[in-house]
Amino acid sequence: MDQLIAIFSREPIKTVAGLLGVLIFVVVNALLLTWAERKVAGRMQRRIGPKEVGPFGLIQPIADALKLLGKEILTPRQVEKPLYYLAPTLVFIPVLVSFVVIPFDASLQVRDINVGILVILAFSSLSVLSILFAGWGSNNKYALIGSIRSVAQNVAYEIPLLLSLLPIIMMTNSLSLKEIVEAQKNGWFVFWQPLAFIIYFIAGVAETNRTPFDLPEAESELVAGYHTEYSGMRFALFFLAEYTNIFIVSAIAVTFFLGGYQGPFLPGIVWFLIKSYLLVFVIIWLRWTFPRVRFDQLLNFSWKVLIPLTFINLLVTGGLLKL
Amino acid sequence: MVEKTRAELTAALKDCEILTVPYRERGYHLSLDVDRRKLLTVAGFFDERNFYLATIICVDYREYLEIVYFFSHHQFLCRAKVTHKLDPKEPVAPTISSVFDSASWYEREIHEFFGVRFEGHPNMTYLFLHEGIDAYPLRKEKAPVTEEDRALLGSFKPEEGEDTFFVNLGPQHPSTHGVLRVVLKMDGEYIESAEPVLGYLHRMHEKMAENRSFLQFLPNTGRMDYLGAMSFNLGYVTAVERLCGIPVPARAEYVRVIATELNRISSHLLWVGAYLADLGALTPFLYVFDDREQILDILEGITGSRLTYCYFRFGGLYNDVDDNFIGGTKAFIARMRSRFGLYENLVANNVIFINRTKNIGIIEKERARKYGVSGPVLRGAGIPMDIRKTEPYAAYGEMDFDVPTGARGDALDMYHVRVREMENSLKIIEQALKGLPEGPIMTEKAPKKLKPPKGDMYHVVETPRGELGIYIVSDETDKPWRMKWRVPSFSNLMIFPELAKGNMLADAVAILGSLDLVIPEIDR
Repeated sequence: MDQLIAIFSREPIKTVAGLLGVLIFVVVNALLLTWAERKVAGRMQRRIGPKEVGPFGLIQPIADALKLLGKEILTPRQVEKPLYYLAPTLVFIPVLVSFVVIPFDASLQVRDINVGILVILAFSSLSVLSILFAGWGSNNKYALIGSIRSVAQNVAYEIPLLLSLLPIIMMTNSLSLKEIVEAQKNGWFVFWQPLAFIIYFIAGVAETNRTPFDLPEAESELVAGYHTEYSGMRFALFFLAEYTNIFIVSAIAVTFFLGGYQGPFLPGIVWFLIKSYLLVFVIIWLRWTFPRVRFDQLLNFSWKVLIPLTFINLLVTGGLLKL
Repeated sequence: MVEKTRAELTAALKDCEILTVPYRERGYHLSLDVDRRKLLTVAGFFDERNFYLATIICVDYREYLEIVYFFSHHQFLCRAKVTHKLDPKEPVAPTISSVFDSASWYEREIHEFFGVRFEGHPNMTYLFLHEGIDAYPLRKEKAPVTEEDRALLGSFKPEEGEDTFFVNLGPQHPSTHGVLRVVLKMDGEYIESAEPVLGYLHRMHEKMAENRSFLQFLPNTGRMDYLGAMSFNLGYVTAVERLCGIPVPARAEYVRVIATELNRISSHLLWVGAYLADLGALTPFLYVFDDREQILDILEGITGSRLTYCYFRFGGLYNDVDDNFIGGTKAFIARMRSRFGLYENLVANNVIFINRTKNIGIIEKERARKYGVSGPVLRGAGIPMDIRKTEPYAAYGEMDFDVPTGARGDALDMYHVRVREMENSLKIIEQALKGLPEGPIMTEKAPKKLKPPKGDMYHVVETPRGELGIYIVSDETDKPWRMKWRVPSFSNLMIFPELAKGNMLADAVAILGSLDLVIPEIDR
């Protein structure tokens, strides 16, 4: 056993094993979340949700994935081929990188980088690029409008997202996610920074393009937005990325505000997953409760409400820290 | 008011004979035939006195074509029929779309079905028909399409500008609820102009009516508005009864009211769900379907069908209601009343919903009149007009109910008007159940073969979407010479390009939804 641990502690092997673990987790998480989404939606809509395939319908997402895999890979004639092919692949890179630095447990982290949060934020801005590629490359008006909306939305919500995390970084004097979690030993930051938490969460939902901010794929206006022209496995990749993004947004919220993997009795990873999936549940809940906001309302809300609030929050935090 | 209008009309037109018509038999009060020069004067006269143009109809009498204009008023009951005769060889008429905006589409409709050219019309293109058509379908003798009109068929080609592009909302699109196509000219997210393209579900019901007996046409009526089939049935049945003078027993009249109001609630419920789905909230759809299911179950018990009913007969009903129906309806009333609070909390008080609908798609009273909109859209605009009140049919005259209206005329008002209309429908059903008389459900005098008297008749009823007008011209046979359906969604859609202009794409969906369109009813 010690030997085994010794082998896995060696850097290159640790990284490879970690990346493999991340890949497996991403797929399992996405499958689980599609199931959870359908089940929760079903319960909220006075129906049962999937129940035929496997116990409680748990095998349903695998059946769906197989169906998508079995579909013919269609490429519409009018598409801009390089961009069209690149987009679904590119959408996955920022997602995978983010997982590398998230601490699932005190020792369960692929790599503890001292600029961890910067890596996540920098790479998550990249995901909008793939949406733009998808919209532009599809050569379809609905897709184009959807992707343009997405760019505007991501630019608008990136700022409050970042600014709402800044007070925590000021309080801990660190960009490393692990150190931020360790700093919450005596109290979660959500109690010190409730406003920042709420703003982060709203901006996070907007970043994942979920209802009430699902304008890029608003089906009643744009059919399916930027992925209108995608089908089969390419569509599934966008789908997979969306669900992984939901988890990442929740995981960062847990790391920054809810004490990360810390908690009594249970192992750290269990606490981390419980907290994260609770937030994921809230995001699903929002989707099945709210209508969609309008484009100008969405931008106004960010520029006129969220950003000023984060600045005030930042000022107050800075002032209190100086005292 | 009829006498006053008549006197003023006489003064305005001088050498024109204005007939007073028995309203009970014919459905209108005044009738006058004008020539080409006077037509615009007459239209202007009615416009000044705040009448609205209900519909324009064309009838082919072989010797001549007759264009019929119906003018009605929102505040009082006075309907005037203005006719204008045309030569069938060279049918040309002046347009009145400069006076009434609603005339525009009706004239286009007549143009493609009868080949009448309207001089001065700004956009004389085809609404319904496709390129393969070679004759004017509603003419009694085959009249081939002229070369000039052939060029117009399928001539609609959107041109993109420097900064604008076109987006097709439909015919296959999630938010048009059917096969409506709206071509939007967009400048970024903003709409520069909107052009509805109809006819994807055109079945030519009006031609079918001419080829079958009155009874044979009855099932067709439910296929026009599949959500308010009961109201369309009732409109048609009461129209034929009025034409032929068939009495209806009191019990049948009451059951008709109950069934129609139940159907109205189910239609409005579906609208609530579909409208919220348009706005991105998908859950209410399932909630309203749960309630709607109860209605469908109740109606299935007496009619045998769940959507396209055919329950009424000339002179009564298909079969009597039983205790199951009465008990089920009572239980439904109690259930539905308890649900309004839920909808209020979940939907109407939601800040996103209010932001999306308040001050969106405002219809001013004047504009509503010019376009001849009706039903909840008209009442949402603040005009308390309900045909169940003004021209009661079936047993509506004995019912006590309110006519809810909106204050701003926006999409939010349309929502509240429809919800309050459901509450009033429950009130009507409750009263009708309480007063439901015993007795036969079918009149004994119902003739096997209908022999309507020669002449015409215009009959209106209030469907869930507004004013349904049925114009029947009879030639004493058991088939109508001409039957025209003035359908509410057609007039309500007409106003959409005006409302959408300058709004965002998302608003266009919100506005289109607030009009509550049923496409098969528009296309007929």
